[in-house]
This record gives sequence, C-alpha cells and structure tokens, in this order.
Amino acid sequence: MPYTYLITGATSDVGAALIRRVFQPGDTVIAQGAGDLARLDELVPLCGDALHRYNVDLTSETALEAFLQEVQVNFGCPTHIIHLPALRVINTKFRNFDEQRFLLDFNVQVVSALRICKTFLPGMMKAKFGRVLFMLTDYIIGVPPKNTTAYIVAKNALRGLARSLATEAAPSGVTVNSVAPYMMETKFLSDTPDLVVQASAAANPMGRNARVSDVVPAMAFLLSDEAGFISGAELPVNGGARY
Amino acid sequence: MTEQEIFDSVQEIFRTVFDDTDIVLTREMTSADIEDWDSLEQINLLVAIEKRFNIKFQLQDVKDLPDVGAMLDLVKRMVA
Repeated sequence: MPYTYLITGATSDVGAALIRRVFQPGDTVIAQGAGDLARLDELVPLCGDALHRYNVDLTSETALEAFLQEVQVNFGCPTHIIHLPALRVINTKFRNFDEQRFLLDFNVQVVSALRICKTFLPGMMKAKFGRVLFMLTDYIIGVPPKNTTAYIVAKNALRGLARSLATEAAPSGVTVNSVAPYMMETKFLSDTPDLVVQASAAANPMGRNARVSDVVPAMAFLLSDEAGFISGAELPVNGGARY
Repeated sequence: MTEQEIFDSVQEIFRTVFDDTDIVLTREMTSADIEDWDSLEQINLLVAIEKRFNIKFQLQDVKDLPDVGAMLDLVKRMVA
C-alpha cells in the first residue's frame, strides 16, 4: 500500500536521511522546511514528482494553517506524520530565560504538532491506520541538564502530547511514538561550540555522540508496519547514557 | 597580551559565568572554591575564554586542569 508521509523539519539532516530510508515507489512525501528547501534537492532523483516541498515558517499560525489546508486539499490525510522541527538549543541560566524566543520555539515544536495532529489524526483514526512520530531528546530521561530550561519545557510538552495522543488513538490502530536521541552531530549543532560537542561525546558510555545513522533506523522501525503494536514509546537512542 | 591582561579578562569571564562580581581570582583557586563550578560550568568558562581570546581548546588539553593557575598558563601559551 502506498503511503503518504508528512514530514515537518524535513530539511534537517535527519529528515532528509529518513526520506531516503523509508521512501518506496508509489509513496508521496510532503516535506516542510523553512527557507532551506534546496537541502532536499538531493532527494529528487530518488523521489521524483512524489516529493512535494513546502516552505513554511512554523512560527506563524497563518502560514501553518494555509499549509495544512493545502496538504488536505491536495493529498487528503497522510498515513505517516513525522514531526522534527526545533529551534537551536540555547544553553543559558534560567535568570536569562528569553521568553520571546521560548514562545517561538514552543510554536515550532509544540503548537505546530498540535495543529497538525488536530487536522489529520481524526482522519488517520477513521482509516484505522496511521503512524505519528515525534523527535524528542534523551534529556527528557531522568534529571535534565542545567541551563536548558526552554528546550526541556518544549520537549516535555511535546512528550505530553505524544502520550495523550497515543492513548486516544490506540483503539483505532494508530500509533504515536517518539525517539529520544543523545546529542546528535548534525548541522543543528552549528551554533554549539566544539568543546561542548567533544565533552558530550566524552561523557557518553560509548564515547561518542549520536549519528544520523543511529537514529534514522530507529525512526524507520517505529514508522514501519511491523511496529503496529508499539505506541506511546519514547525510544532512547543514546548509547546507554540514560534509561 | 600581558599576563595581567589575561588574568583580568579571565577574572571577568568568571564573574560573568557565575554572575558574581565579587569573585577575586587567585592562581590557587579550584572548583572547590566556587559553589556552582561543576563540569558543565567548566565547559562554559572554557568556551567563553575561547571566544574572548580567539583560541580553540581540545578537550584532552583542558579536561585535567587542576586550578585557575593552570588555566591561565594554558591561555598564555595559546595566545603567545
């Protein structure tokens, strides 16, 4: 059966690698990015006309609404929703908490996920099939690190959404899961000092940070047909750093 | 850059990172002397020092710095 993947944050390293991993001829891919759609050019030879790219600023409610309406009109209800976007993590003490930036990130990570699910989850449930997958972080496991309040609050809100939806959607056979990776070496870290990245690798029991190639197969599994009895899971991909 | 200039800048960085303008740095000072100075703040200090002096540390060079004196000596070597 051909699938329709709706992927937000698709222009990230993980998004592009995930499309490459799961795409099969006959599938449709709706890929959202924000000002960086050229990143997906490399997928055109693989997906051809099945790749539909949308430039949408997820901090804007109007832009998000227009996007969702267009997806609905052109593609109906997706079979798979993968929600990846987040603003860059800022390490700062709580006394310097930037509420405005937090609200932007909250819109990108949480409010957009809410709207997307509100638009499409009922259709998935009616179809008695669907996969929803959120990108979390292994910071949600156990005691969170210092100086990351904004990120932790947003990710835990997303986690709460995933859990609630998992409960509600389970009777219809729709699964809602999350992956919780260790610090991942991608362009998302472009503002993170090397020393922080090196220290994170040194602190991991396996002596390194996560790679896209560690995380994407875990995601592909949770999106697969055979993962149909797994819902509400938060799969750590972290070299055993926290569990 | 003189030793004193390096000292003054690093002291300023300590005051900013720990949000405490009363910090008076000594070469003998260690993480035991500042309550908030844990491994994470150590990285924050080093990253701020990198930025201020436009240098780049490797983790292996900085992971066993015993005290402020060793930190100052490392910066001095790197800006020389």
